[in-house]
Amino acid sequence: MTMTAETATATAVVAFDQVTKSYGDVRAVDGLTLALHPGETVALLGPNGAGKSTTLDLLLGLKHADSGSVAVFGTSPREAIVAGRVGAMLQSGGLMEEVTVAELVRLACDLHPKRFKVEDVLTRAGIGQIADRKVNKLSGGQAQRVRFALATAGDSDLIVLDEPTTGMDVSARQAFWATMREQADQGRTVLFATHYLEEADAIADRVLVLHRGRLLADGTAAEIKAKAGARSVRFDLEGAIDEAALHGLPFLTSIDVSGQTVRIQSSDADATVHALYGLGVYPRNLEVAGLGLEQAFVAITEAEEAKQS
Amino acid sequence: MNSLIKLELARALRNRKFLFFSVLYPSILFLIIAGKADSTTKVDGSGLTIPTYMMVSMASFGALTAVLMGNSERIAKERESGWVRQLRLTSLPGRGYVLAKTASAAVVSLPSIVVVFAVAATVKHVRLEAWQWLALTGSIWAGSLVFAALGVAIGYLATGDAVRPITMIVYFGLSMLGGLWMPATTFPQWLQDIAKWLPTHAYAALGQAIEQSQAPHSKDIAILVVFFALFAGGAAWLYRKDTLKA
Repeated sequence: MTMTAETATATAVVAFDQVTKSYGDVRAVDGLTLALHPGETVALLGPNGAGKSTTLDLLLGLKHADSGSVAVFGTSPREAIVAGRVGAMLQSGGLMEEVTVAELVRLACDLHPKRFKVEDVLTRAGIGQIADRKVNKLSGGQAQRVRFALATAGDSDLIVLDEPTTGMDVSARQAFWATMREQADQGRTVLFATHYLEEADAIADRVLVLHRGRLLADGTAAEIKAKAGARSVRFDLEGAIDEAALHGLPFLTSIDVSGQTVRIQSSDADATVHALYGLGVYPRNLEVAGLGLEQAFVAITEAEEAKQS
Repeated sequence: MNSLIKLELARALRNRKFLFFSVLYPSILFLIIAGKADSTTKVDGSGLTIPTYMMVSMASFGALTAVLMGNSERIAKERESGWVRQLRLTSLPGRGYVLAKTASAAVVSLPSIVVVFAVAATVKHVRLEAWQWLALTGSIWAGSLVFAALGVAIGYLATGDAVRPITMIVYFGLSMLGGLWMPATTFPQWLQDIAKWLPTHAYAALGQAIEQSQAPHSKDIAILVVFFALFAGGAAWLYRKDTLKA
């Protein structure tokens, strides 16, 4: 992107500019700058504690930034919500109890300036069957669908979902993704937080990786997957070790040699191991293991930091 | 906001426990307390018979129950569950939530007043002028706003676990010490000195003045106004604090 900051802000659905938010000594969001564009489906990916929920709270005006600015459709988050341009579903979004699903959805429709018909909202969220059930008698997955219905009660331009599939099993999750994709297909901008790379990959056309309140990576799901698909390779070598040759291995993100043991992190372990044999050495006790998302993030961070220094 | 009021009201009317305690319970208490009293014994210093005196106390008590219980516990629980946050993502104005709660509680408190009056008039033959009935209903209903504000303040002050005991202590404390359950004139002098400054005492005194065909005492009105300002101010301050924190 070669847009200047001003034009980016003017056309952006969401624009964060150097946003910082701390809780005591903990910086939940640290100098975050990002812009979302109309029609994008964006995953906000990161491990627990990465600052995802705080970022969404700032975006929705539930929290206020210590410094920096947050704009939604060029206005304040609250103005955008009052104008009916934003629909949102919170992770901790409690529901009004002792009322039926239909009554609650009707309330959300009534409160939306560009409301849809209650029946349509129920059907689209897949809760037409449980419309007469009391809200406090729902399973976790059903409650998530009700929250989704509240977020999509009107014709909002931006839908924000905080870990929408929490508490759902695999099949429910996949059915839910289809519902989310429908929203995106209607031209809405969809932003959702998740800690499942798989989920980001299945739905998002852009993935923002958040780590310790900073934007670590911003790219397509495939790009992020390649980066986060890092594996660790560990092996022992006998005799003198030619470290320079090892450093020349392809797809390395980090290498650590201690005694006869070599630990490598690689973004393409197959190619790295292949090249290792090509060096004419004989690695013993070879182990290749996948990194969890969190470790993969750390690997990316270290790679980024190494690049900068 | 009307749709939220409607939904809050529908929910309150479905809650049998809440309806029992706010609408029927005050009438039952009235019958227990005034039941054996004959219609000639006067309450000390008031010139009113026990049934007439207790009718206002219990109507005030019923209205107090409806608005205090209706607000405090729900607000504390819904704050904790995140429903209040979810509502902030709608076009509902910030104060809309509290106003809807108070409005729906006020709708329930009206029958709780009227039912006590009906029971007192039919069972204990309490007789008043038409203007007195109307003035009583109006003043007790309007006065309940003081306690609605208190309920909101407690709702924003207490956590979901603590809200019930805190509400109960405040509720029973104010009801008993304010003389809603038995005339404060039966209290020892030192307790009477405390009681006459309580909002519940002033609240019931409004109604008793009307029964005596007098204008409400300006001191009672002043006490209620001061407490209303205190509770509403506290509620507003706690609400703002909660909104910034959430």
